[in-house]
Parts: sequence; C-alpha cells; structure tokens
Amino acid sequence: MKFWRDVFAWFRDSQHWSGADGVPHRLWEHLQLSATAVLVAMVIALPIALVLGHIGRGGFLAVNVSNIGRAVPSFAILVLAQQATHDIGTKPALIALIALAVPPILTNTYVGVRAVDADVRESARGMGMTGGQMLRQVEAPLAMPVIMAGIRTAAVQVIATATLAALIAGGGLGRYIIDGIAQQDNVQLFAGALLVALFAVVTELSLGRVQRIVTPGGKPSGRPVVGEVGPAGGVSALPR
Amino acid sequence: MLELYHASPATLTAMTAGAGGVPCTATKAWVCWGWVGDHRDLIAAAVRQHIELTVVAVAIGLLISAPLSYLAWRRRRAAAVILSGTGILYTFPSLALFGFLIPFTGLTFTTAEIALISYTLLVIIRNTLAGLDGVPEDVREAARGMGLTPLQQLLRVELPLAIPTIMAGVRNATVGTIGLVTVTALITYGGVGTLILLGLQKDFRTPLVVGSALSLLLAVVADLLLLGLQRLLTPWTRGAAAR
Amino acid sequence: MNSSTIKGSRTIRFGAIVVVAAVVLTACSKDKKTTSASSSTSAAATSSSAATSSSSAPESSSAPESSAASSAPAESPSAASSSAPATVDKSKKIVVGAANFGESEILANMYVGALKKAGFKAEVKKGNLTRDLLAKALLSGDIQLTAEYVGTDTEYWNVAANGKDAPAKATPDAAATAAALRDLIASKDLVAYDPSPAADQNSFAVTKATADKNSLKTMSDLSKVASTFTLGGPPECPTRPFCQVGLEKTYGLKFKAFKALDPGGPLTKNALTDGKIDIGLVFSSDGGIAARNFVVLEDDKHLQTADNVIPVLRKDIDSPEVKAAIDGVDSKLTTEALTALNKQVDIDKADAADVANKWLADNGLA
Repeated sequence: MKFWRDVFAWFRDSQHWSGADGVPHRLWEHLQLSATAVLVAMVIALPIALVLGHIGRGGFLAVNVSNIGRAVPSFAILVLAQQATHDIGTKPALIALIALAVPPILTNTYVGVRAVDADVRESARGMGMTGGQMLRQVEAPLAMPVIMAGIRTAAVQVIATATLAALIAGGGLGRYIIDGIAQQDNVQLFAGALLVALFAVVTELSLGRVQRIVTPGGKPSGRPVVGEVGPAGGVSALPR
Repeated sequence: MLELYHASPATLTAMTAGAGGVPCTATKAWVCWGWVGDHRDLIAAAVRQHIELTVVAVAIGLLISAPLSYLAWRRRRAAAVILSGTGILYTFPSLALFGFLIPFTGLTFTTAEIALISYTLLVIIRNTLAGLDGVPEDVREAARGMGLTPLQQLLRVELPLAIPTIMAGVRNATVGTIGLVTVTALITYGGVGTLILLGLQKDFRTPLVVGSALSLLLAVVADLLLLGLQRLLTPWTRGAAAR
Repeated sequence: MNSSTIKGSRTIRFGAIVVVAAVVLTACSKDKKTTSASSSTSAAATSSSAATSSSSAPESSSAPESSAASSAPAESPSAASSSAPATVDKSKKIVVGAANFGESEILANMYVGALKKAGFKAEVKKGNLTRDLLAKALLSGDIQLTAEYVGTDTEYWNVAANGKDAPAKATPDAAATAAALRDLIASKDLVAYDPSPAADQNSFAVTKATADKNSLKTMSDLSKVASTFTLGGPPECPTRPFCQVGLEKTYGLKFKAFKALDPGGPLTKNALTDGKIDIGLVFSSDGGIAARNFVVLEDDKHLQTADNVIPVLRKDIDSPEVKAAIDGVDSKLTTEALTALNKQVDIDKADAADVANKWLADNGLA
C-alpha cells in the first residue's frame, strides 16, 4: 500500500517535472529520438520499397530483411552501434534505431505495393498512366494501410529500444528505469515504467487511428488492425 | 602490434588468451577467436540459459493462450477484451514491463519469464483466431452435417486445419522471444544477452559479436525447427494436393 | 472423414505433449532457478547490468592514509570475529558475492580460491549489482561472504541504521573504521575480518589537457570550473554520499550536467578521453589511468575515507579456518598488486577468475 502512495507522491513531486531530469524534458528527448529515427527510416525505406514493389523486383530481399531484422535483438544492435561509433548517447542510439525501423517499413511497403490487384494495374496501364503516375496515384494510395502498419510497427519498436539508450548515457524515459534499477529506487523504476508504457501505447493507438483513416472503405472485421508482415511473408497471412 | 602494449613481457605471455603470440584482445578486432576458444564453457552456458528461457516462455505462453483463444473464439466480446489486453501488453517496451515487475518479484527468473510470456500471448492468440477464421465454410458445413458437436468440430476439424497459421504464430512468438531474452541480461539473466552486455561493460567487441551472432543463429534454427514441426503436423499440405 | 479424425487426434497428442513439456520444464526450471542462476553467473563473466553499477565504489583518501591503514592488519580485533563453532561444516558451499566491476570479481575469486585450498566448497556469485543487493543477499543468506571497502560500507550501514543525516562514522583511519563497521553489523549477525593494506578509493580524474588548461591539481581547484563541467559516473552517483552528493557538500561543487555511465569502467574512461565528459569517477586502483594520460585530482578536503578491502561475512560461516584463509589473502594483497590485476582484467580482457587464481598461485595461496 505504501508503495502505491510513494509512486503517487513521485508524480506529485514538482521536482520531477522540471529540469533536465524532469518528465517533460525526458519525454521530449524520447520523442525527439524516436521520431527522428522513424522519419529518417521512412526517407530511406519508402522510396526503395515503393520502386521495388512497383517493378516487382528484389522481393526475396525486401521480405526477408524484416525477418532478419526481427531476429537480431535490438539490444545487440544498440551495443553494436555504440562499439562501431565508439560513442555514447544520441548518435549511436539514433543509428541503431534507424537500423531497427527500416526493415518493417521496407517490407510492408514492398508487400503492400505488390498486393495491389493485377486488374487494377492493368486498367491503370490501359488508361495510359506512366509507371510513375501509376505508382503515385494508384499503387501507393492502395498500399497505404499496409505501409502505415509498417510505420506503426517501426514506431513502437523504436520507442521500446529508445528506452535502452539510457544504458549508453542516452536520455529519454528509459533513464528513470535504468537509474531506478541502479539506485535501487523501486518508486522511480515503477514511475518510469508507467511513463514509458503510456508513451508506447498512446503512440500505437494514435498511429492505429491514422492507419484506419488511410484505409479505404474501412475494415471488414472488428479485429485489431494488422501489426506487421508475418513470417509466412504475406500480408494475407494475418487477420484483418 | 606489441607497441600497443604497455605491459611487461611476463604479463603478455600470461595473458595470451590461448591465441599464441599477440593477444588480440588488445586490438579492436571484432572477433578474437582465441577468446572464443577459451570461453567455450561460458558461451555454452549462455546458450543453454537462452534456450531454457525461451522454451519455458513459449510453452507457458501456449498453455495460457489456448484457453484464452478458445474463449475469444466462442465469444466476440471476450475476443475484443482479450486481444486488446494482450495487445497492450505487447506494446509495452520490455524494460517497462521489468519496471512494473521488479518492485514485486525482484530480479528473478519469474520476473524474466512473466515479461517474456506476456509478449507471446498476442501473437499466438491472434494467429489462432485467424487460423480458425480461415477454415472454409463448406468444411464446417460438412462437419456439422456429420453430426459432430461444436467441440468435436473444433478439435477434429477446425484446429487441425488452423495449424499452419497457429504454427506461424508460434514461430513468430519464438523468434521474438529469442530476441527479448537478451534484454533480461539487465536483470541478471540474459542467455546470450550476457555476452552482449559483457561486450558493453568491458568495451570488448568479441563477446558482443558472438552474442549477436548466436542470437540470430538461435532464431533461425528455432524457426526452421518449428517449420519442420509444422510440416510434420500437416502432412496434407506436403506434396500433391490433399483429396 | 477418416483423415480429419486422424489429424484431429494428432493435434490432441501434440497439445498434450506441449502441456506436459511445459509443466515439466516449469517444475525443472524452478528447481534449477538458483543453480542455473549461479552457474550462469559463475560461468558468465559479468552478467549484471552495465547501468546498475555497484556503489561498492570504494572510497578512501590518498596515499598517506593508506600507509596508516597498513598498520591496521597488525592489530587483529579478534574480539569481534571469534565465537566460531568448534566443528566446521565443510560440506556446505560458501557463496562469495561479487559486484559488477572487475576488481570485485577478482577479490571474490581470490576468496573462493583460498577457501577451496582450505578444503571448503566455494563459488562466486555475480549479479549482485549494488551494495544494497549485496547487503540484502548477505542478510538473506543468498551469499555468505563478500569483499567490501571499509569506509563506504561503514557509511552504508550507518545510514541504514541511523538515517541519511547521521554523522559519519568512517574516517581515514582504516582500523578505527573497521571497528565502527563491526559495531554496526554485529546486530545483523555479520562479522568483518581485518582490513587489507590494499585500498581502492573513489577518485575523480580529468584529462591531462583539461588539468593543464585549468590548472587543476586538487578537488578544490574545481570550484572555479565546476559549473561548466560535465561529471560522469555510475547512475547512482547523484545519490551517493561519496560521489556527487559529497562533492557538493564537502567541496561546494555544482556541475553543469551529469552523465550516467558505469562504475569507473570503459564507458566512463572513453567518455573522458573523447571529451564527452570533463571529469569522471575512476577507481584509484584502476590499472589504466596512467596509460590514458588522466590526472587524478587530490582529495584535499578528505571527502573520501579509508577504503581498504575488508571481508564481510555471515556469522554462521565464521571459523578460525575461514578467517585464516581469508586473512591470508587480504594480508598479502597490496594496492599495487590489485592495480596490476585490474589492468589485466580491464584492459587485457582477461578473466577475473584466471587472474585471481594466478595471483593466488604466485603467492602460495592456491
């Protein structure tokens, strides 16, 4: 019982809401790191995957890069980035996070574009569209739900790994958790965990909202929307 | 490379980690095979612990997912609650989950396992439901026509046909768990994550690379093994189309 | 129809196997929990978290005081450490706890080696991340013995018993501090043997360039530049009396920022070299300070106390034979030797166990 009172008191303490170690600043660090990583990953992955999906090449790689990406643990990627850059803090964390965000975006975008109905492509060609026009006006919009699913997966993954950045002197909300363990301060630990979890869930839900908005015609079933491409390699393997 | 060394020749010979000549631990090499050879026991223990953590997590995950899937399958409303609940668990970063558990269960095997199990639930349940959903309606019709009770229908017809999708979920969950086990290094477990953490703590690349490679290898092997299991359980998907 | 029946029962069989396997595994792993944890910790080099650094960070004053400390082993406070059982049970394994930095592991391995020579069964248990966890483990019997640092440990138990603002009981006099420690832990059925001449102190280092640029020789010299400096240390440094808290109280230093790294480990030292931090916590027995061109600032106001190595153990394993084995190690250990061993572990990436055993062999204690 006392524990819960202490946690509540931690949040009530104004000291925890100001300064470099305060919640707003840590939240901002976390947001900045995660958002930058996802945006950069999008800039890298989207063009490549859109083009590959459009011309129908490189499928094997595009689909399996995601499987490999999932198989290498994010913790390892973080430490590898730290060792490779011989640096600590934001730079290696950012590199690791970008590396983590690219595979789901790449794979989902490729699969999404490929999944566009052959008939639709035919009619687009029949209407005299160039490849570029087809990609921009037909394939990409139709693939948008799956692309968004990939971005959403990447975002949640990035937010989770950004908490580990605290291990290499990074900032962000993970700081409370790592410091809480080190200082044997269970209250700080729990409070930090709450903040991180909340941040992750809010991001997942809001991006889910965006995904629903870009899904033409809404979803057929009431089930939660697709998370990411499964090991079977195809979007169709997952419930919708 | 001896000039990298400030140590005396005595220290040099003493510390030549079995590699003969210059200890490559002094260089910034990505892999010191000498170190690997000398620490086979350490590496083997790490792999064993990793497998143990994974198998227990997925097994218990399956155990818990089975009744939950059944409940979700039978009642739509339960499905929404169960999927949202496990979905939220899935969204929590693992470090956050540890943060929730440590004040109550400490730095123990239980803490590690509760976190790992939580991440398997959504994937397995979701895929189980998808698999059951995917059973063609005419097959269900036929089963009903044969006079099977809903339970018999489930066990004898729907589940077997759903196995490929369920197994895909199990494979997904297993690969994911293998990755997450590395993070348990922060609460004194870790499997091959121990090697990765060692690399960070000692500024030493070899265990880092070895740990990462082993994690990848374990994931690939597990995936293949489970794929083989899947083929074993669904012989009708092999070779010519089933009649 | 026949085929689906066969497949159905196959599914049930598979399900049954899974259930049985899960139950068996859970049962086995519960039994193995402690053994697999300890076997993996003794097999794995450092299985504890980088960030959960140990506040067993030793803290003592500089050289002159350690020579005063070297007189400590001469007087053996036999009063506190006797009352041992007449017959010693050598079948029960003694678990020696180590914190997550190289030196602590080396010391633990030395104790284990010496105990084994005396006919005991012993093993090292890592994963005791901070002093709090080590203390908890000692009290619960999870570990029975650990190497501590007399000044810091005294203050730890002092604060635990008398609150955060209790007047300090640790002084630069190792013997007196050891006596204070024994007083504090007696009620918890813990005893401490004699402090070793070897000491490891919290020190704060800057790069030579920084020292030259700002004419820094002592900790007091920092007052003119502290507000522009970034301090680097283990994550718990901001809450520790001999770390940032003490720097503020004793020296009035308020740093611009703090970066959480590791306890005097490679992250901190690399950050110092790379200019990511201006001043970092290092251990005085660190083997790599000279090689890296660091300047350790003198603790002129004596914030740090005597931090000689001292074994702390549960009363129920206390016996003349254990004492002889452990004292044998501690009395022979010097700061120079410890520094050299640390270097092998930290820079040459040698195994703490190998290094410890070799030292024991070289000193006739293995």
